Amino acid sequence: MTIYEVFLKKDGRDEFRHAGALEAADDELAVIAARECYVRRGEGDRVWVVARDSIVTEDPAFFAPNADKPHRHHSGEAVAARRKEIREQLKIAEETA
Amino acid sequence: MSDLSPAAREVILAFADDEHLMGQQHTEWIGVAPFLEEDLAFASIGQDELGHAALLFEVLVGGDDAAIDAIAFFRDADEWRSCALVECTLEDWGDTLVRHWLYDSAEELRWQLFAGSSVQALADIAVRAESEERFHRRHGDALLDALLTVDDAAGRLQTALGRLLPMALAMFDGAAGEADAVSEGVISGPFASCADAWKQRVDDRFGAQDWASIDADPSAGRTTRHADFAPMLDRIREVLDLDRSAVW
Repeated sequence: MTIYEVFLKKDGRDEFRHAGALEAADDELAVIAARECYVRRGEGDRVWVVARDSIVTEDPAFFAPNADKPHRHHSGEAVAARRKEIREQLKIAEETA
Repeated sequence: MSDLSPAAREVILAFADDEHLMGQQHTEWIGVAPFLEEDLAFASIGQDELGHAALLFEVLVGGDDAAIDAIAFFRDADEWRSCALVECTLEDWGDTLVRHWLYDSAEELRWQLFAGSSVQALADIAVRAESEERFHRRHGDALLDALLTVDDAAGRLQTALGRLLPMALAMFDGAAGEADAVSEGVISGPFASCADAWKQRVDDRFGAQDWASIDADPSAGRTTRHADFAPMLDRIREVLDLDRSAVW
C-alpha cells in the first residue's frame, strides 16, 4: 500500500489546499478513494492525488533560516515612515516659502 | 403512481428490492471493511444503491415518506421480489467484492432496459443511476485489477466466483408479468435478455467460464426468500420496531 496526499479546490481562482491523506494499492484506487473520502460533499472537483514519496522535500533544518537576518523581514514599515517624513518636510518647506 | 399496470409494478418492485438489499448488504461492512478508505468507499456505494431503491419505491407509492417506509420495511416476506444474491449475508470480503462486481455489471445492463421506458420517471432514474454506477464499476474493477494479479487473492476471488455464479444467474429471474411490462414499453426487454452480455463480461473479467455446466440455483429466484433474509430485515427494522415514529 502507498500513502497519498490529497489536494483539492473548486473550479475558479482559489488555490489547491491540502485535504488529507489516504492509503491505496495503486494510483487508480487512490483517485477512487480520494473521491469517496474527501469530495463526497462537493468540497471541490479539481483534485490532485500525489504519492507521498513523490513529494520533494528536505529536513526542517535545511529550510529554517538563521534568526539574525532582520533585513529579510521587509514589513514596509521603515519605508512608509521615511516617506511620511519626506512628505512632512516638503509641506513645511512649502509653508515657509 | 396509480396508473401503473400490475406487471409494471412487479418489474419495478423487483429492481427496487434488489437495490434496497444490495445497498443494505454493502452498508453492513461499515467499520469492518478491510481498510478505512475502502470502508468509506463501500458504504458510499451502498448509500447510492439505497438511493436508487428509494427513487424506484417513489415511482410505486409516491413521495410520502410513510408510504415509502411502508413498502420498504413493512411488507411480509412473501411480498418481496428480491433475488437470493442480494439476500444472502456474506462473511468474507472476497465474496462480497465479487458479488459487488457481479451485481453492478448486471445492474448497468438492467438500467439500460429502463432507459427508454414509457414511464418517464423510470427513464429519468436510469440516467441518474448510471451517473453513479459508472463509479461503482470503476471501484470494483480497480480492486479486482489489483487483487487478481496476486496469487493468494486471485485464488480466493475465483473460489468466491464459483460459489456465487449459480446464485448470480438466478438474478435474471424475471418478475411476474415481465412480458407484459415489455409489451407496455415499461422496459425494453426481459432482464434475462441481458444474461449473455453479462456472461461475456464475467468471462472477460475472470476468465472463460464453462457456462454449460453452471445452472442457476432454482431456489435463488424472486418468489422465495433466502435463509438470511429474515434476520437481515430484523436488523434493518431494529429501530423502527422499537419505535415506529422515531425521528432521526
